[in-house]
Amino acid sequence: MIARMVKVEIVGPNGMLLEVLSLLRELGVFQIEKDSTGFVTPQDRNKVHSHVLDEKTLAERIFYEDLRARIDELFCCLPHLETRQSYLDPGSVLESIAETVQRHAATCRESCRKRESHRKELEELNRYQAFLGALEPHLGSLSLKSSLEFIGVTIKEPEALEQLMLAMSRLTQDRFEILTARGADGTLIGLIALEKGLAEKVRTVLGEQHVPELTFPAALAAIPFPERIGLLRIRIGEATAGLAAIDAELARFAQRWGAIYARVRSWLEVRLALLKNVAYLHQTGMCFFIHGWTPEQDVARLEQEAESTFGGKVVVVRKQILEQDLDQVPVTLRNPPYFRPFELFARLLPLPRYASIDPTPFIAIGFPLFFGMILGDAGYGIILLGFALILGRIFRKRDTVRDASRILLISSCYTIVFGILYGEFFGELGALLLGVREAFIIERRHAVIPTLYFALSIGMAHVILGLLLGVITALKRRTGREALFKAVNIVVILCLAVLFLSLTEIAPRLLAKPLTLVLLFLIPLLFFSGGVLAPLELMKNVGNIVSYARIMAIGLASVLLAQVANSFAGMTGNIVAGVLLAVLFHTVNLVLGVFSPAIHALRLHYVEFYSKFVVPGGRKFEPLKK
Amino acid sequence: MEKCYLALAAALAVGLPAIATAWAQSRIGAAGAGTIAEKPELTGTIIIMLAIPETMVILGFVVAVIILAM
Repeated sequence: MIARMVKVEIVGPNGMLLEVLSLLRELGVFQIEKDSTGFVTPQDRNKVHSHVLDEKTLAERIFYEDLRARIDELFCCLPHLETRQSYLDPGSVLESIAETVQRHAATCRESCRKRESHRKELEELNRYQAFLGALEPHLGSLSLKSSLEFIGVTIKEPEALEQLMLAMSRLTQDRFEILTARGADGTLIGLIALEKGLAEKVRTVLGEQHVPELTFPAALAAIPFPERIGLLRIRIGEATAGLAAIDAELARFAQRWGAIYARVRSWLEVRLALLKNVAYLHQTGMCFFIHGWTPEQDVARLEQEAESTFGGKVVVVRKQILEQDLDQVPVTLRNPPYFRPFELFARLLPLPRYASIDPTPFIAIGFPLFFGMILGDAGYGIILLGFALILGRIFRKRDTVRDASRILLISSCYTIVFGILYGEFFGELGALLLGVREAFIIERRHAVIPTLYFALSIGMAHVILGLLLGVITALKRRTGREALFKAVNIVVILCLAVLFLSLTEIAPRLLAKPLTLVLLFLIPLLFFSGGVLAPLELMKNVGNIVSYARIMAIGLASVLLAQVANSFAGMTGNIVAGVLLAVLFHTVNLVLGVFSPAIHALRLHYVEFYSKFVVPGGRKFEPLKK
Repeated sequence: MEKCYLALAAALAVGLPAIATAWAQSRIGAAGAGTIAEKPELTGTIIIMLAIPETMVILGFVVAVIILAM
């Protein structure tokens, strides 16, 4: 159900504004209305104006925002660690915190800079180590004389190596050696050894052929090649140790100060949120006004808290909701525990408007009923029941899955009940095994036409219920003509249904004539209330009723698939193969049997039922809260 | 011979709407998947849109059943 809301105005002296906002935030039952239309009368409009922050409050806000930015900057440098809870009252130490945070931010920034420098160096050194590490086992075969020059290259394709060898041979008259190895990432890396005098020429050719040369850092470049690996390892060790030392220092800092700064930041968030809301308030020279909405059941608590906290200095006034306010009233749904999981379906669509009706209770009754009528198999129902229980147990902390499992639980119970009524347990298998000769009410496999009539009857009842709710909604929204149109539609549909029964001689034939006369009388009324498109709307309603034939159609498809599963299993002539085949077919049918009825039951509600009375476009109730 | 015609009529009654439904759902499904990727809050609307063309094949099936029951 849509919770009844109360239009509330809170009035108090200007100096108490932030305390009042703080209380409202604590209670979490009041939504501030940004638009003052409907709250301030036209004659008072020149006396009341939007709240303007005084100089002191403005300075306070700037100070808070600045401090929050500094703390954020500090947190950017710190590692994310679980810290202890701080019970510090930030309000009393804000000035000291503002001074300390500057110093701490500077220290942490410097540590971060050093850390970044170590990290980059380590990354670079690791790249060289990967190169040299791949070549190290082969270096023994190479003549490492100091008169030689070494050039490291990475070769992308094996064909490029051949071309490189040819070019080197031509340039150096075969006075070179090359070692190749696969790097850790699969790249082919090579080390060319040649006389120092030829090195420049070779480098130019490598550049022309786009073969990237690996250049070593300046500190390593001057050192003879064989010593480079050792030095590289030493440097990597030093950089790793430096990085670990900085990390430990930052972690120590975070453990010591993190909780305090987190507490201050959270306090600042609260204060800034309150100051932000101040912009939506109104004031005169002496007092402030907060306009908004509170659920009816929470108004008394709000009044009591305001009275006890401010000793009568702040007044909570209940105001009348006018016709022009109806579209402005926020909407919150409050349903009994049985209906609550079905709000999941309501959340898939836009919220209904305040003066409309919450469809949740109707879908909570209709959805499992249609689901059960379509699937209608006790065996499948028992499996779904077990599945829903397991799902609900595993995901009891996740709201959406828990709601879905509850819906499935209720739907599976209906499936079992309809399965017993239809005499179906994994198709006709249960009936055969249990020796049940006849279904309790109807055997869907054979009684196709009666099932069709039954589905259409359900459809007519559902559509008429929707239209009745539409009449109520239209009256609530004070649109009399729409209410009349929906009422006329109900009468016309009932007349058409009885006329059909009369013409097919299910009802007395004598009724046909008076019913035709009634219909003729209703046609002008239909045009008067619904305009030129009224017949189209009527046809749409009739089409909606026919659409409920899907309850029979999908149900029949489901039962026939179950029958096919059992027949195939019987045809194998082998117990094991038969059982396996039956399990496979029934699993497929069960999966289809869950999705198809769910989607169609939903669709019957969303399209055929909701369209009669739900007016979408409601504003969500978003109270000021922690 | 009459049975043959009835069977053919039933097959057409369910077959043609099935093709039409499949075509409509393929278009709506593709567009719907794109819509949900950008605006997940429209999931409910997309489910409705996707289920709307199924009315054709279901009504076709009902007509086929009525034909065969004649």
